[in-house]
Amino acid sequence: MSINKQNQNLSQVEQRQRERFISKSTKVAAKYLRRMEELPGAPDEIKPYFEVLRNIYVEQMNIPETNGKKAIGTYCVMVPQELIYAAGAIPVKLCSGSYTAFSIGDDVVPRDACPLVKAVVGFQTMGTMPIYRDCALMVVPVTCDCKKKIAGMLGEMVPTFSLHVPSSKSEDEDMEQFVLELYQLIKVLEQATGQKVTYESLIEGMEQVAYAQYEFSRFLEYRRQTPALIKGTHVMAMMNAYSYMPVEKWSSQLKRLNARLEQNKKNKLYAAKENQPRIMITGSPVIFPNIKLPLLIEEMGGSLIGDETCMGERMLYDPVAVVDESFDGLIRAIANRYTRPCTCPTFVDNTQRIYRIKQMIKDQKVQGVIYHVLRGCLVYDYEYQVLEEELGKIGIPVIRVESDYNEEDIEQLRIRIEAFIEMIKLGGNKNGR
Amino acid sequence: MPDKKTITYESEFIDTLNQLLRSNKKLAGAKYFLDTTYHYFHLNTMKTRRPKVIVLGNSIPEEYIYAAGKVPFWILGGSLSTASWADDLVPRDTDPVSQSMLGYLMNDKFNLAKEAVIIVPVTCDSTRKIVFLLKRAGYRVITADIPPNKQEPLALYKWVEQMRRLTEELSAYTGHTITRQSLLEASKVTDRARRLMREFLESIKGREHIISDPLRMVIVNSYYYTENITKWCGQLQSLIKEIKALPCCYNASTMRNKPNVLLMGSPVVFPNYKIPFLIQDIGLRICANADILTEKIYLEEVKKTGRKKEDIFQAIAMVHYKGDCSAAYANNKTLYDRVRYQMKTGNMEGVVYHVLKGQIEYDFELAHYEELFSAYGIPVFRLETDYQYQDVEQIRIRMEAFMEMLVQNQYSSGRYKSYSKEKRA
Repeated sequence: MSINKQNQNLSQVEQRQRERFISKSTKVAAKYLRRMEELPGAPDEIKPYFEVLRNIYVEQMNIPETNGKKAIGTYCVMVPQELIYAAGAIPVKLCSGSYTAFSIGDDVVPRDACPLVKAVVGFQTMGTMPIYRDCALMVVPVTCDCKKKIAGMLGEMVPTFSLHVPSSKSEDEDMEQFVLELYQLIKVLEQATGQKVTYESLIEGMEQVAYAQYEFSRFLEYRRQTPALIKGTHVMAMMNAYSYMPVEKWSSQLKRLNARLEQNKKNKLYAAKENQPRIMITGSPVIFPNIKLPLLIEEMGGSLIGDETCMGERMLYDPVAVVDESFDGLIRAIANRYTRPCTCPTFVDNTQRIYRIKQMIKDQKVQGVIYHVLRGCLVYDYEYQVLEEELGKIGIPVIRVESDYNEEDIEQLRIRIEAFIEMIKLGGNKNGR
Repeated sequence: MPDKKTITYESEFIDTLNQLLRSNKKLAGAKYFLDTTYHYFHLNTMKTRRPKVIVLGNSIPEEYIYAAGKVPFWILGGSLSTASWADDLVPRDTDPVSQSMLGYLMNDKFNLAKEAVIIVPVTCDSTRKIVFLLKRAGYRVITADIPPNKQEPLALYKWVEQMRRLTEELSAYTGHTITRQSLLEASKVTDRARRLMREFLESIKGREHIISDPLRMVIVNSYYYTENITKWCGQLQSLIKEIKALPCCYNASTMRNKPNVLLMGSPVVFPNYKIPFLIQDIGLRICANADILTEKIYLEEVKKTGRKKEDIFQAIAMVHYKGDCSAAYANNKTLYDRVRYQMKTGNMEGVVYHVLKGQIEYDFELAHYEELFSAYGIPVFRLETDYQYQDVEQIRIRMEAFMEMLVQNQYSSGRYKSYSKEKRA
């Protein structure tokens, strides 16, 4: 149903509510976008990513250049994008960080639900955002209790597929089950798009995503540089834009960005000073426009040089490794890629995440870790204790920052982050106690 | 000399048992069930007990464990003391049930899981992370990954496959091969227990004045605390006989005009009986319970006609899957249908929807029930609490207001039975 037609059916009060909702949510998005743009050191090549975020959140537009392709809404990095491209559709990641949508969702879902889910429900309820409204299908991986229940809720409103992610990934049986699940997903995608997933289309889809991964791995090399060549907040914008861009377009822009970073490296044009504390974020995802944490880190004098989150580096890790080139072999390779190396806390045993973080600390010369916990995100909270212990052993300071989708805690967060950065500056990380 | 932790643990269940004992003046047969519960929780038995198979929650078909030659030792949570023992191990927002279950297993008072394998159905965020904590502490754990959506076509297949993996691991651990015969015998025993529990609840109808609601609940739930299910069934049969021998009194003065409420949502697990006690104190009557513990007694009987082991295995899995009304599913249609049935057949006047802090799945489901009950004009009272006792007075005030509203409803609908009218008649 078009917006005009929808508006005709609404009462005056509802109409006014919707207008206020749109006005408020776009203002907040525009504010954070402006703050990101004003942060010095943004290369010109990052600007198209800002533009995408502006189009989606401020201009309230749909994904550009779909060429008549259907959009498939996804709620997590565990949904294989290769399959969606192979079915002739475009994936849109609908996880959101909108404060305004969060406050609407707060009235619909339980108080203790995580803010991400509240924001998603808020947008779904208001029906103002084209990217939520125009999806032919929603794919919700069941990775936590809130996602599970939201799959049930969405299923009552729009066509939804709940993707059962196994709780364990070490056994062959777990993988077999996930492979079956992917075959189910293919069926549902084919029904939604009316296009068959063929061997050729799957290869094409895999190549498109693999190219993005290749460019991203090149980008990570530049990101490791000391001093930093790019601000972490700008990287967050780039990673967030991935959710709303066709992968080819995103990758070609990243190629241009990589070329610019190469030039900057040669010309010693850095985005941070050499003595700036190198900080890494891990834990709950940082999703636009909830960019307060990276902004605070960089405004307080830290250099955000890495993130181990599902909206950051975890999104585009290793490409699919194909051993068996049959169709089934490709599906199995995709199933492997999306589970085995994944460090999502949905898995019972996620010790891998600790190794991954330690590796990142070593490679990216991290001096301090900020553990981001969105209120209600229990699975990440469970893993904090073990990580704190492990990082304590190698003398890396870590703070747990619990936050929500509002601006009320910004000053408190600022004080904590400032103190943390000062501690690192004073050499607090050398104390291995 | 016992330390503070020990005293708190013991006083918690003994206080609840004492209160139940005091309320039971008429049924001699109820003592066995209270003794069974006492024996389960007693600290000395906890210290010396070495169960071989521990099950967290009640989502796993016990038939498989009996068929593997072992008696399941259920850990259902319910204890404030054990929850506090696990305080440092879990995040602040963890639900008290998971926290309490972990406390039973990881504490410095007793080591229940020393020789046991722990079966954990992965039903929520907490259970999946508890598995990691237990494994990290060196315990042997078998998990069952419960499929999250019953509506999807592969859900039943996945459930059966998970049960198959579980039984294989269980057999390997116990060294006892599960056969058709052992499955048959196990399902006969559990079917009988469930049949008797249903019969027990039926036998109470019209005799509610002789047994309090919390006592009724503890008798049913003592199923999870017994070490000898056959004896337990025998005792329940005797109790049913004893109850049936007592006359029905549909209009007993003690029950007159007590509004009937359905208690549903997060399960009430012994020893934390503050909610049923409060409901009783205020003057409401729990006409039925709708939670994962109670609903298990309404499972269908296992079809025992198959000639192969696989037939019986599948039949057991099917019965449990079909009747599983855990909030772990994206859509909990099984419980919804049960509640709708209860609403149409029973005489409930209100609903107490119990949500334990952190059990967010129940909160998600509330909206559906509010819609359902409002269509029939039945008020719903959402009660959020945890295992602490500090909020009892606040809850009491709210619940009293709820009861007053229900009594007003009785007046306005003409259901209120006046003494004077009766006398005049």
